[in-house]
Amino acid sequence: MGIFDKFSTLKSRVDLVEKLGVDPFGVKFDRILNATRGLIGNKEIILAGTNNYLGLTFDQDCIDASIKATRKHGTGTTGSRIANGSYDEHVDLENALAKHSGMESAIVFSTGYQTNLAAISTLAGPKDVLFIDADSQACIIDGCRLSAAPTIRFRHNSPADLEKRLIRQGEIEGGIALVVIEGMYSMFGDKAPIKEFVEVCERHGAFLYIDEAHSFGIYGPTGCGLAEEEGVLDRVDFISGTFSKSLASIGGFCLSRHKDFEITRKAMRAYMFTASPTPSNVAAARAALDKIADKPELRENLQARAEQLHAGLTALGFDLCAPPSPIIAIRRPNEMIAASEWNWLMEKGIYVNLAIPPGTPQSSSLLRISLSAAHTIEDIDLILSGFAQLRQESELVMARAQDALAAQ
Amino acid sequence: MSPSIAQQVSDIKHSDVFNKICELLVPYNPKGKEILNHSGIMTDLEVDSTAVFDLIMGLEDFYDISIPMEMVSDIKTVGELVNAVIQLTAQS
Repeated sequence: MGIFDKFSTLKSRVDLVEKLGVDPFGVKFDRILNATRGLIGNKEIILAGTNNYLGLTFDQDCIDASIKATRKHGTGTTGSRIANGSYDEHVDLENALAKHSGMESAIVFSTGYQTNLAAISTLAGPKDVLFIDADSQACIIDGCRLSAAPTIRFRHNSPADLEKRLIRQGEIEGGIALVVIEGMYSMFGDKAPIKEFVEVCERHGAFLYIDEAHSFGIYGPTGCGLAEEEGVLDRVDFISGTFSKSLASIGGFCLSRHKDFEITRKAMRAYMFTASPTPSNVAAARAALDKIADKPELRENLQARAEQLHAGLTALGFDLCAPPSPIIAIRRPNEMIAASEWNWLMEKGIYVNLAIPPGTPQSSSLLRISLSAAHTIEDIDLILSGFAQLRQESELVMARAQDALAAQ
Repeated sequence: MSPSIAQQVSDIKHSDVFNKICELLVPYNPKGKEILNHSGIMTDLEVDSTAVFDLIMGLEDFYDISIPMEMVSDIKTVGELVNAVIQLTAQS
């Protein structure tokens, strides 16, 4: 028995997808030119699947801040904040995030994944009960797995189903209920009815944790996310997010309206036992946070482009998973069709995401687009013309896929 | 808990739960594979992880119980799922 034998089913599936062309999960860009263009070899690709929502990765202020921090503190932190100390950039960013959101406490993490892993696994102890949305993303599920608390799932985006399960659970002796939802869900781009979730949690004395990874910077009058958009930010116990999307860097954060959240720094293993984010990453996120506060026009352009693309794809007859948002997911009949079309789009210079089961809601096969405020009207027209051509040539695309699959 | 459900779970039988699981599995078993106590839900019946959770939620609603996620990950066969439902209904 070989150590990799257990992956044989997965390998067969990957081999099958690779027969169609490029490995969709192993794309290598030779150069990123700006927030909306990259090069593979000499071929220019329009980027429509990078979650670079505000297009700030090439913002001059973000780049300058990043370079300045590297020159000041070097390229790496070489250790954790608990063992090796914090830099002023870490503390400054935490203060800025708390101030911007009006929260009492802010903690910065090395990645978005680690943020939910650390916070959820630590906030829910053995006597507590976790309630999570059925479509929760991997880092929420993994945080629950690491927690000592039992985890109960409720139907996706259903405050009524959550309430039913909270009632079914009854009083939790010696513990609390922690409810975890996402603001906007990463695969379909659908939004949670946050105000209703807040009300259910308040009725039952449950704590509410919202992951705004895909909505922070994009929604709300000051860009704090969907809880702010719905006017209930001050009634949410915890907000988590990432630096790797609208904040144009790498890292994550968790905010709380409870000052006592600070004590968890000394308890969260994924915070304590990992290297802190680099000065460069933190400084870039700090500069991007200022842009979120000062440039509402970024959000306005992003929403306008989302509506343009959504309307165009709808007119072409594509089945879209949610109303217009910066994430637009197109439902395809199965993963082979989706993978064939993904390859065809790449050949035409359009990069989107291929999303296939497991890991997609309702076991869907999707072509997932994420837009940027840096996309222009002409960029969206270009993407739409690619999809229009795909529609016209669908029989050819499938015939080519069948030939590729039949070849040895 | 409504009286009718309470009555139902007080004398719940293995065969009742097994039949309910078979009923809930119909949409996920298009090939009509035979369902046995020792059938692996994801292996023999080829039910994917998303469908497993739909099945779990169906059972939770019908029996008015909660099956925690960590318990679900330990359940491999239809018989083990039946036993989990019986255990949880006895506790509720």
